[in-house]
Amino acid sequence: MSDLWILSPVLLTLGVGIFLLVWSFAEHILAAKAFRPAEPAAGSKPEKEAGLKTVHGLAVGTLLAAAVLTLGAAWSGDRSVTLFYLMKDIPIYFHIDDISRWFVTVVTVIWVLVGIYSTVYMQHEGEEKRFFGFYLLVYGVLVCLDFSGNLVTMYLFYELMTLASFPLVLHNGSREAIMAALKYLFYSLCGAYMGLFGIYFLYRYCSSLTFMPGGTLSPEAVSGQAGILPVAVLLMLIGFGAKAGMFPLHAWLPTAHPVAPSPASAALSGIIVKSGVLAIIRVVYYIVGPDFLRGTWVQYTWMALTLVTVFMGSLLAYREPVLKKRLAYSTVSQVSYILFGLAVLSPAGFTGALLHVAFHAVVKCGLFLTAGIFLFCCGKTRVDQLAGIGRRMPAVLWCYTLFALALIGIPPTSGFVSKWYLAQGALHADIGVWSYVGPAVLLVSALLTAGYLLPITMKGFFPGQEESSGSAEDTEQKQRVQADTAGAAKRQEPKAAMLVPLLILAALALGMGLLPGVFTDFAGGIAALVI
Amino acid sequence: MHIAIMITVVLLPILGGILIPMLPFHNRKQMLIYIEALVLVNSALIIAMLLDEPEEAFVLFRFTGDLRVSFHLDGLGRIFAAMAAVLWPLAVLYSFEYMKHEGHEATFFMFYVITYGITLGVAMADNILTMYFFFEMMSLVTLPLIMHTQTREAVLASRSYLYYMIGGAAFAFIGMIFILAYGTTSTFVPGGVLDPAKIGDKTNMMLFVYVLCFLGFSVKTAVWPFSSWLPRAGVAPTPVTALLHAVAVVNTGAFAAMRVTYYSFGTELLRGTWAQNVVMVLVIFTIVYGCSRALKETHLKRRLAWSTVSNLSYILFGVVLMTPLGLAGALCHMLFHSFMKICSFFCAGAVMYKTGRSYVHELDGLGRRMPKVFVIFTISGMALMGVPGLAGFVSKWQLAQAAVASENPLAWVGVGALLISALLTAIYMLTISVRAFFPGKDFDYSKVADAEDPNWLMLLPLTVFVLVIVLFGLHPQPFIRALQEVASVMTVS
Repeated sequence: MSDLWILSPVLLTLGVGIFLLVWSFAEHILAAKAFRPAEPAAGSKPEKEAGLKTVHGLAVGTLLAAAVLTLGAAWSGDRSVTLFYLMKDIPIYFHIDDISRWFVTVVTVIWVLVGIYSTVYMQHEGEEKRFFGFYLLVYGVLVCLDFSGNLVTMYLFYELMTLASFPLVLHNGSREAIMAALKYLFYSLCGAYMGLFGIYFLYRYCSSLTFMPGGTLSPEAVSGQAGILPVAVLLMLIGFGAKAGMFPLHAWLPTAHPVAPSPASAALSGIIVKSGVLAIIRVVYYIVGPDFLRGTWVQYTWMALTLVTVFMGSLLAYREPVLKKRLAYSTVSQVSYILFGLAVLSPAGFTGALLHVAFHAVVKCGLFLTAGIFLFCCGKTRVDQLAGIGRRMPAVLWCYTLFALALIGIPPTSGFVSKWYLAQGALHADIGVWSYVGPAVLLVSALLTAGYLLPITMKGFFPGQEESSGSAEDTEQKQRVQADTAGAAKRQEPKAAMLVPLLILAALALGMGLLPGVFTDFAGGIAALVI
Repeated sequence: MHIAIMITVVLLPILGGILIPMLPFHNRKQMLIYIEALVLVNSALIIAMLLDEPEEAFVLFRFTGDLRVSFHLDGLGRIFAAMAAVLWPLAVLYSFEYMKHEGHEATFFMFYVITYGITLGVAMADNILTMYFFFEMMSLVTLPLIMHTQTREAVLASRSYLYYMIGGAAFAFIGMIFILAYGTTSTFVPGGVLDPAKIGDKTNMMLFVYVLCFLGFSVKTAVWPFSSWLPRAGVAPTPVTALLHAVAVVNTGAFAAMRVTYYSFGTELLRGTWAQNVVMVLVIFTIVYGCSRALKETHLKRRLAWSTVSNLSYILFGVVLMTPLGLAGALCHMLFHSFMKICSFFCAGAVMYKTGRSYVHELDGLGRRMPKVFVIFTISGMALMGVPGLAGFVSKWQLAQAAVASENPLAWVGVGALLISALLTAIYMLTISVRAFFPGKDFDYSKVADAEDPNWLMLLPLTVFVLVIVLFGLHPQPFIRALQEVASVMTVS
């Protein structure tokens, strides 16, 4: 029980998160009692500013402290805690292994950077106490999810994560946002219940629900259950795949991610979708065992679903004019790269999948933060409005370009490394024709990725001549406008609190590609353990 | 302690209830104190009785030979009695506040308290005749409660209630006759009382009678196609809908179904037969049907009533698995669901009482004005949909485990139905919470300025219920062990 301290970051973030929520709620109740709308009730303007400073300080301070505690807990050895017994042989049990370390580190880095970014961004969305309250709650829940040591504990925090994160989606309170949040909620719950269906069966046919590399399925119980168990496992894959945006339960993702405030979209698209990946890794590699699935129809169905998703996501992204929505479709496609790597059940595929978890988190988070800056500083949401943006904020667009290259997978950026391993995994796996079809689909999707990301860079830096074509006076006017924007451009980079996280992410996206050794070794080590 | 305590806890509320309109109370307060005292004393007696564990049966009177009205407290009855003992005093407390605006309090409380005694009669019935007697009494005594408001709608609802109940009882009566004719005794014995020698080659007929009898008793649990009376009965005052139509009356049906399945017909005869399949299909269908109707329903209380229809069939699903684990799961859900559903109903009642709103679309933005009620409502909703850490997850886990372990493919379909229903539950419960807490940015809060949280008479029961839900969810082991002990009696015989 001496390892109980590993849960201290959770306690900290949950405590402060709930405090912020209660504070925000109490303010609203007081405002409602006074028959006034919420905004003026917060007092005069300077007073309000001071209050916001406190909120920001509290949120970021808590995040930093929690991050230090979390990383300290994660990287100080294999610790485990049994909190209490939910049922006879089902404890709420936390155990830190390499997978936990990998995921929790990614979560922490992204969460802190996005948190800092939000302090500026959320000023134009309002309701910051509520936002940071839920933001901290989700962090605490995610740490628990990553530390979970058995299936039921994981399921508990998986559901809590859904419930804690959907208020982030409906943040702006428009009808569209509320509907999107409900869609997100119900898709996620539908997926979770499909997962639960599988858990019911696994509980009977596994020797325990505690995660063990290589699985815990007990052979004697399985014999004679050839029919139902694969069905249950496939349902679990589809169910947990809902969170990862896998076809056929992907439809919530392009609806929910764009309507959320940009930092929330970044966190959702970078991190929350990865919880689905984590759940699938835990189920396939730590409970069922890859040997049970290898060569079965379940593996092929799963692989086909991931490839369909990869292609469909890219294609839809290519056709989508709204930037954030385009990025959401891109997430659909990219996360299924990861799932494809898991589905081939080979060590290289697994390594590639783990690498892509981290790389995609960094890159997609960076892209959403960029989109947020375009929205925040210039109010631009559609891709065609972004022509010439490179003159106003060159640093931001350079970061964007770097992220785009990484997502396409052009060396020496990080995306290249993970895709290399994914393709290797598929080519060397014993999966028949799929070992060629898979990499081919990934390649086509990479082309599409280039097609939907790079035009923004090109238009951004080189708006071209179309704008100046037309009648003479029109051209003159346009040129004046252009000159105006160009003149203002040099001084229009966003505030440091928004720019610095972006630069750090860009450095990570590049750095991890330049020095991949340490990451590939770590991921490869896990892969050797589970397969 | 003397075994006569068993008859005391049945008769005390009945007689004490009848006295309510007759006693010369000086004011309302005196009457309320009398009622609460009466209920509390009875609950204390029940708890004393449960601790004392009387072994023998108490025979009230004999008709002839084996036919007698007698009481005996066994494991199954103990759980039902304990549940009633906890819920009644709290529900009465809530009613004190709620019934202020309904009027005719003396009559209302008379029937409300009498039902307490009758519920215990069902719980402690030693044989099928006694159970049938109290089962019928239950229908008759609760009838005036549905009619309470005397509106046309209420009269029609009570009429349909009566028809359903009488019809159901007729089916159940057929079953009773056959048990008397083909059984060795009419007393409840774990594992059943049917005599194989008497049945001979008439197994199919017995199975047919079982289906009739099961459906007859299950009319009270609103199994499809007999479910429409329950939402219509929602016109009754909320304490009635909450305690009787979500807990006492409907659980009586489930309880009776358990008795006839496990204690009279016996699972040996039934397991794996077409009769089991027929009832299981009906039950699985009701699980999904109830939820779908709840989703369509816009009246808050009727929505909860449809949700009850579905959840009661969870209990019946456990019953018709016909394994000890199934019975344990059924008991578990009976116990847990009672707390969850009474909690959500009381929240709905509090909203109706304080604001007069009863449709879901009228609840926008109320979360800020009635935060306590809506936080509790949200927790009970999450418990119903089965969020881990709350009661619903545990009981669904027990049911699903029993279904998986029964190795019956139809039961696996049932597991799927449980989860579909969980998703639908999430939709129809959480949309209410989202409406209440996030009405949208343009919402005009002056529209809900009149609403506020109710006083302690209503909040105390709600708080207790929500604590119990969390307790069941986080530390269910002692309860589950007790329930499994009760159910394991089945394997011995």
